[in-house]
Amino acid sequence: MMNRNSRLWWQILSASFVIFLLSFVAMAETDPNPDSPTPVLISESKDSLRALATSPDRLGRTNLSSLKSRAFMPNSRVVLYATNFEFLADEGANSVRLYVEDAKGRKYRFPVLDVSPLRGQQWVYALTVELRDELGFWEQPEANGDVLVGITWRGLASNRVRLAFGKTGGNIKDDEGAVPTPFPTSPINNPGSGQQPDTVGYLYSGDRVRFLEQATFGPTPALDERIRRIGLRTWLAEQFDAPYPTNPYPNIPLMPTNISDECRATTNCARDHYTQYPLQNWFFKEAFYGDAQLKHRVAWSLSQLWVVSGVDTQQSSHMIAYHQLLSKNAFGNYRTLMNDITLNPGMGNYLDMVRSTKNNPNENYAREILQLFSVGLFMLNQDGTLQRDASNNPIPTYDQDTVNNFTKVFTGWTTCEVTALCPNRTQGAPNYKDPMILNQNNHDVTAKTLLDYPNAVNKNIAAGLNGNTEMQMALDNIFYHPNVAPFVSRILIQHHVTSDPTPAYVGRISAVFNNNGSGVRGDLKAVVKAILLDPEARGNAKTDPNYGKLREPVQLATNVYRHFGVKSADLTTQSDGYVWQIIAPLGQNAFYSPTVFNYYPPDYVVPGPGLNGPEFAILTTGTAIGRANFMNTIIFNRVNVGAYTLTGTAINLAEMQALAAADTTSNQLLDTLNVKMMHGTMTAQNKATIMTAVNAVAATDSLTRARTAIYLIATSSQYQVQR
Amino acid sequence: MKQNRREFITKSTCALGMATLATQVEHFGLMTALAQKTDDAQTDAPSDYRALVCLFMAGGNDGNNTIIPNHSDANLSNYTTYFNARNAAGLAIPQSSLLPISVPKMGGLTYGLNPALGPMTQNGNTIVNNGIHELWAQGKMAVVANAGTLVAPLTRAQYQNRSVARPFQLFSHSDQVSQYQGGRADQQTFTGWGGRISDLRTAPDNPNGLVPMITSINGAQLFTAGQTTLPLAIANSLTPLNQVLNPQLTGVGTTTRLAAFNELRTQDLSSNYIKAASNITDQAMQANSALGNNPMEVTVAFPNTGLGYQLKQVARLIKKRTDLTVNRQVFYVQIGSFDTHNGQLAGQGNLLTQFSQAVRSFYNEMVTQGISDKVTLFTMSDFSRTLNPAGVGASAGSDHAWANHLFVLGGSVLGGDFYGTNTSNGTPYPNLTMNGPDDADSGTTARGRWIPTTSVEQYAATLARWYGLPETNMSSVFPNYNNFISTGTNLGFMQP
Repeated sequence: MMNRNSRLWWQILSASFVIFLLSFVAMAETDPNPDSPTPVLISESKDSLRALATSPDRLGRTNLSSLKSRAFMPNSRVVLYATNFEFLADEGANSVRLYVEDAKGRKYRFPVLDVSPLRGQQWVYALTVELRDELGFWEQPEANGDVLVGITWRGLASNRVRLAFGKTGGNIKDDEGAVPTPFPTSPINNPGSGQQPDTVGYLYSGDRVRFLEQATFGPTPALDERIRRIGLRTWLAEQFDAPYPTNPYPNIPLMPTNISDECRATTNCARDHYTQYPLQNWFFKEAFYGDAQLKHRVAWSLSQLWVVSGVDTQQSSHMIAYHQLLSKNAFGNYRTLMNDITLNPGMGNYLDMVRSTKNNPNENYAREILQLFSVGLFMLNQDGTLQRDASNNPIPTYDQDTVNNFTKVFTGWTTCEVTALCPNRTQGAPNYKDPMILNQNNHDVTAKTLLDYPNAVNKNIAAGLNGNTEMQMALDNIFYHPNVAPFVSRILIQHHVTSDPTPAYVGRISAVFNNNGSGVRGDLKAVVKAILLDPEARGNAKTDPNYGKLREPVQLATNVYRHFGVKSADLTTQSDGYVWQIIAPLGQNAFYSPTVFNYYPPDYVVPGPGLNGPEFAILTTGTAIGRANFMNTIIFNRVNVGAYTLTGTAINLAEMQALAAADTTSNQLLDTLNVKMMHGTMTAQNKATIMTAVNAVAATDSLTRARTAIYLIATSSQYQVQR
Repeated sequence: MKQNRREFITKSTCALGMATLATQVEHFGLMTALAQKTDDAQTDAPSDYRALVCLFMAGGNDGNNTIIPNHSDANLSNYTTYFNARNAAGLAIPQSSLLPISVPKMGGLTYGLNPALGPMTQNGNTIVNNGIHELWAQGKMAVVANAGTLVAPLTRAQYQNRSVARPFQLFSHSDQVSQYQGGRADQQTFTGWGGRISDLRTAPDNPNGLVPMITSINGAQLFTAGQTTLPLAIANSLTPLNQVLNPQLTGVGTTTRLAAFNELRTQDLSSNYIKAASNITDQAMQANSALGNNPMEVTVAFPNTGLGYQLKQVARLIKKRTDLTVNRQVFYVQIGSFDTHNGQLAGQGNLLTQFSQAVRSFYNEMVTQGISDKVTLFTMSDFSRTLNPAGVGASAGSDHAWANHLFVLGGSVLGGDFYGTNTSNGTPYPNLTMNGPDDADSGTTARGRWIPTTSVEQYAATLARWYGLPETNMSSVFPNYNNFISTGTNLGFMQP
C-alpha cells in the first residue's frame, strides 16, 4: 500500500503523463511545408522549346542528349520527359495531366498512361502519353502542326513545350517568357516557393487563407492568426471537437398541415413556421459567427448531396430536423448518415418514401438514393474514373429492375404518430422530427434482388422479412458498393477544394473512405481531414490553369462578409443573417434547391475548355451581372433594417478606410487586400488597374477609395474563382 | 441608322483596348462570322425572321393525363381502357370534363385534352385567356404523339432482347433531360441541339446580330450550350430589358470603376476558370449595350406566373429583333415541378393551367405583332409517367416512364392533328395496355411505360428544317440522324 507521499507523487506523475499525452496529441502532427515542387517538361536542348520526345519502343535505348524529335501521329504513343516531382508512394500517372493547346486556341487533354523514373537518372521521369483527346469537348485535334503541351501536378503547372502533331511547323506561338529546359544531368532541386518549416507556427500565409476558404465560410483575421499559431492539423483537431452550433438551432414547433386561422392572423406566424425563413437566417448567422466552422461547412456540403428542398418542404421545423441530422453526422459515419436521412420524414416527404406502400409503391427515393446519394449511374474505378466495357462504353451500376427491387424494400414507412415511441409527437401535426417508423402491413415482403458487385453484401433479400431488417440490409448493400467511396469523395472534394480533381487525389480520399486507418469504412471525419490536408489541396501558390473552383453564391457572399467583420446595419451588434434574399437571385436560394439535383450538377462541363466546373452551371450572363450588383449592394450599401430583419447587415470598412487614408498612394490598402482576399495572387497588372480606379477618387474620400478597391477585387473573375 | 457589328465592336470596346476585343470576338463566336464576312454577306442572310421557342416541362409531364382517349372505339385504347387503369387510385380525369379534339389521323375519333388547357375563369389575376384548347380547332396547334429518346427505331421485342441499343439510363431525370436537350441518346453530350444550331447558323443568318442567336430566360441549360457560342441568359420580365444586364454602380468615380471592372477581365486568362467566368461577364456587358435603349413593351396581358414572365420577356425580345439585327433566334423557357410522384391531379392541373395560359398569351401577342407565322413554340419534357398510378386518393401520382405527347404551336404549324411514326396499332397514339405491345415493362407488374415510336431527332429535325438548318447540317446537329431516315425525318407538322 502506498503512503500518502507516494500517492501524491503518483498523482503528480499521472497528471503529468496525461498532460504529456495531451500535448503529444496536439503536437503529434506538425504541418509540413505545403509547397510541392513545380514540375518541368524537358526540351530537346538548351536552344530549343521543342519537347524532348521519343517513341515508347525507343525508351532506354536512345541517347536522349543527341535526339532530334520528329512529328508524331494521332493516337500513337509518345514518351515525354519531365523532372522535379516528389511522388508519394502510390502516386503516378493518375496524378499528372497533360494539356494540349492547338493553333486555334482549343484545349485538349491527352491521357498519361505511365510515369516512370529513368534508370540511373531517377530525377527524370518518362511520361508515356497517348496522342488523343480524352475530354471530348471538341472533335479530336487536327494533326497539322505544332501544339503546345504542358503538364500539371498537384495544382501546379509546368512550362509548355512544342510538340509536332502530325507534322512539324504551323503558327502556334510559344508562351511569353518561355525558356529552354534541357535534360538535367542532376536533380534541379526546386522545392517550391514556401518557407522552410523550421519556425514555430504555420507561416505559409497564402496557404492559410486558401485553407480557410476550403474549410470555413471565409477567412477572418482571427482565424488566420489562430492557424498561424497552431497550424492546420491542430486546428482540425479542435474543430472536430468544437461544440456545434454556436447559435442554437431555431426551436420551431410542429404545426398542422393546414395553416390555422389563428396563425394566419398572427404576425410572422406563417413566415416563421411555414417557410424556411428561420433556418435560412440561422444558417447565415452561424456561417458568419459560428465557432464550429468546419462542421457547418461540411453539413452545407452534405445538404447539397442529400438534397431536401424547401420547394416541397412545408415547414421550417421539418427542414431544421433534417439539417440537425446532417450536422450530427458531418464528422460521423456515412452509413449512419444514410440511415438517418433515409428515415428522416422531411426526406420521406420530399422523395415520397413516406407514402410508398406495397400496393402503391413509389420509385422516387429508391432511384435517387442510388443515383445521387451513393453509387451513381456508372461503375467507377477507385480513383473516380469511369470503368468501361470492351466497346469502351460506361457500365451502368444498376437498371430499372434494381430500382423496382429497392422500391419494394422502402415500402411501409410513415411518420411516427405513436407517442410512446416518438418524443416529438404533436397532436394535430404530422411528426417530422422523429424518424419514420414501419407499418409492416404496408411493407412488400416479397424477395428482392439488390445491387450486384464483387462480394456483394446482401445482394438477395429473402421473402417474408421484417421491413426494419430489410432496410438495414439494403442500406448495407448500398454502403459496401465499391462506387460509394469515389462517388462521395469526388463530390466532397469539388465542394471544398477544386472542381476537377486528379484521379490520384480522388483515389487517395477513396482509400481513406474505405478504411480510415483503423479498419473503419465511411469515417467522414477522416475523409474531411484527408481532403483538406492532401498535397493537391495545399500550397502557397496554385498555377495549374485548371485548378480551383468558381465560388458558389453562398460562399462568395459569406467570404466577402467575413473578410470585413460582418455586423448589423449600424455596426453595433451581430447580423441576424437575413442576407439570403439578396443571394438567391445569383442562382442559389439556400435550402430551396430547385430540384433534388441541387443548385448545380457535379458533372457540369464548362463550355470552351471542356473542364468539369459544377458552379458554372449557375453562372450566366444574367447571374454574372447579378454577382457584380450583389457586391455593389453589400460594399456600397447594406441590408437595411426592415420588417424581415431587425438588425440589417453591413460590412465594417473602418480598417480599410484607415489604410486608404494613411497612404494616399493606395499601396497599403491594395497590399492588405491582396493578402486578405487574394492570398497573394494579385498581379502587378491587376494592382495597377485597380489602383487607377481607386486613385481617381479624391484622396479625402477614403471610404469610397476603400469601397472601390474591394468592389473591384470582389467582382473580378480572379476572386470569383477560388484557387 | 443601324450599327453593323464591326462598328458595334469597335465602339463598345475602344475603352478596353485590343486585348478585350480579341477575347470578345472569340467568345461571341464571331470569329467565323468575321472571317467569312465579305461585301455580299448581307445578301446571303435570310430576308425574313424566324424563331423557335423551346418550352421545357421539367420533371416529366404525364402525357397520359394530358391527352386522353375520349371515344369508345373498341379497336383502339379508348376512354374505358384509360379509366380502368387510373380510376381505382383516383388518378382518372372524368370523361365529361375532357376538352374534345377531333383527330383526323385517328380516323376522326375524338380525344380529350386535360381540362386545365381550356378556359379558366376563376381566381382573377392568373387567368387571362381561354387557354390553348381553342388553337386546335384553329389549326394552330399540333401534337406529336408517343415521342421520346431513342438511339434508333426500336420495337418491343428489340427492347426486350436488347438487339437494338437503348438510350442510356432510361427513367432517370438528369439523363433523359440531357438526351432531350442534347439531341442524342447513345452518349452524354456537352452541347445541346439548340446550341449546335446556333454554332452553325449565327454567321450566315445573323451576320450583324448584336446578341447571341440563342437566349435562355431560365439560366444555363444544356439545350442552349454550343461549342463556340454561349447563350444570352437573362431574367424574366420582372426586370425590364434595358436593366437585365445592367451593372449598378453606386457612389463617385463610377466611370473609372467601370473601366477597371472591364479591364480586369482581360487579365489572367491563362486560368481556364478565370477565362470562362470573364467570357460570360464580357458577353453580358456587350449584350447590355445592345439592350440598353428602346425597351419594348408587349400589348397582350400575360399571366403573373413564372412562365408568363418568361414568355413575356421572349415576346419583348422578338419585338426588338430589328434593333438587335437578328434574323433567326432560338429561345428557351421552362416550367418545373412536373415530377408528380404524388398529388398529381391537383398539381399537374395547376401546372398545365399556367402552361396553357402563358402560351396562349404568347401566341396572341405574336398575332398582335403580326409575326405568328414566324414563331414556333414547342414542348419537351424529361419523360412521360407510368400509366399505373403511384399512391391512392388525393396523394395519387405516377412514376417515371418514357414516350410522351408533345405540343407544337404557331402560325406555321399544320395544326389540328396528331403526328409521329405509328405505334403497334397503326396510329401515332399508343396502345394503353400495361404489358401490352407498346409497354417497355413486361409481366404482371408492368406499369405502362410506352416505348417511343418517334425520336427526339425526328421531332427536332422537323423544327430545325423549318428554322432553316440545311439538310447537309442535320447529321452534325443530330449525330444519330441517319438512324431515323428510314422512319422519316420530316414529321410533316410544319408548313414547308
